[in-house]
Amino acid sequence: MRRVAVIGVGVTKFGLHDRTSAELFAEAAADALTDAGIPAGAVQALYYGNVVGGETEHQLHTGPQAASVLGIPSVPTTRFETACASSHAAFRHAVMEIAAGVSDVVMVGGAERVLNVSTAESTEYFAYTSDAVWEQPLGLTFPGVFAMIARAHMQKHGTTEAQMAAVAVKNHRHGALNPKAQFQKQITIEQVLKSAYVADPLKLLDCCPFSDGGAALVLASEEVARRHRKPVWVLGSAAASDWMLLGDKRDLSRVPATERAAAAAYRQAGLGPDDVDVVELHDCFTIAEIVATEGLGLFEPGAGGRAAEEGRTSLGGEIPVNPSGGLKAKGHPIGATGAAQIAEIVTQLRGEAGPRQVDGARRGLTHTLGGSAATVLVSLFGRD
Amino acid sequence: MTEPAITVRAFFERARAGQLVAIRCGSCGELAIPPKELCPKCHARAWREEPLAGNGTIASYTVIRVAPRAHAAGVPYAVAVVALKEGVSLLGRIVDIPLESLAVGMPVRFRPFVAPDQQPSIGFGPA
Repeated sequence: MRRVAVIGVGVTKFGLHDRTSAELFAEAAADALTDAGIPAGAVQALYYGNVVGGETEHQLHTGPQAASVLGIPSVPTTRFETACASSHAAFRHAVMEIAAGVSDVVMVGGAERVLNVSTAESTEYFAYTSDAVWEQPLGLTFPGVFAMIARAHMQKHGTTEAQMAAVAVKNHRHGALNPKAQFQKQITIEQVLKSAYVADPLKLLDCCPFSDGGAALVLASEEVARRHRKPVWVLGSAAASDWMLLGDKRDLSRVPATERAAAAAYRQAGLGPDDVDVVELHDCFTIAEIVATEGLGLFEPGAGGRAAEEGRTSLGGEIPVNPSGGLKAKGHPIGATGAAQIAEIVTQLRGEAGPRQVDGARRGLTHTLGGSAATVLVSLFGRD
Repeated sequence: MTEPAITVRAFFERARAGQLVAIRCGSCGELAIPPKELCPKCHARAWREEPLAGNGTIASYTVIRVAPRAHAAGVPYAVAVVALKEGVSLLGRIVDIPLESLAVGMPVRFRPFVAPDQQPSIGFGPA
């Protein structure tokens, strides 16, 4: 298998936009090509993530649409849908296309538009990622899924609502340093604890926002990457699935797909959790960050809440998590999120993250979760 | 072609009538909630139906206050994952239990629940 590098990244500002998801992708993609210093004609394929285009934009077949709007209509494209992990799944397959020797330059992208519909509508569309027969008729929501994970974690480990709030406060502090973030405003523990319950025990400020946005990456084979500035190498990329139904999961305080994907990615890279300097992980809800830090092996099971409260995952802490602000503050345009997380890690490993730079970061990890924790992708990156 | 032990449609017709049904693997004895074509444990294709008593305890729950459109008129309402005594778990709507009295470990009992769109579904009420 050939080595693969990320040689260009582009991300739009996240938040409210009056452009289609294809336009948002195209902006990020053109920026990624400029960043890579490579002509659009060099791109041999597009792997694309988009989730609720059919619902919010009445738009399917978003792969060729995205390629057309970018201006590279003839490349082969495939749209990936693994709920919120879609563009990370797209990334993994693009890596395999280059590693296998099929192509030398591949674009990965993702975009989503949801702020053009009401919160009740987007809540319903996001709930489509749970089971349509067993779960949706009960009125289960996405916050509801993670609320039950939170309750199970609190019951088993004594995790507190204040510890979850510490995750939100930390990610808003980081997001305030990121000009692309949807929220660039600090919040306090008290504000989180006093915000209204959405799905007990999760409150409004435990939840990431609905967002519009796009992200793109240019991937290249080693031969091409060596000719470009600061390539960041893909050291491992793995996916894992788990039972779709909440009822079929054996222990709601854990996300086994995170544990399996992490184990596979660490094995590919020949690395362990202690070798990672910076992490972008899937904090769709504050409890999701706590459970992910445990599943990735950064902390022991049950220790993630305390670690967050003690500042160990903060910029300047022992293992900075979500320096971009995470989904919580940077925003979560679901089709774009995986690619945007990778863009942040690439920026960090290049040493170009400005005020949110993790000093001396050499190796980074991204973790993206889809649906009711039924899809997880984990990838590892290095400066050399 | 092997006919499925029980289809989703048949499961919910029985649930509407008050009976929960699981499937047990004729090869390794694994108990599961349908539909599953193969046993997730031994991959045999040898299911047979087995009734469930409907008694269990709450493994986790949440009170939903921001709902999808079809459920918006019903907030707040609770859903729970219930560990049934036979060893399988089901998500269900909590019915006839005060929301403030809910707790992990609370005993509950199955009862039919009809969704706002009239789809038959799973409910759990007082044991």
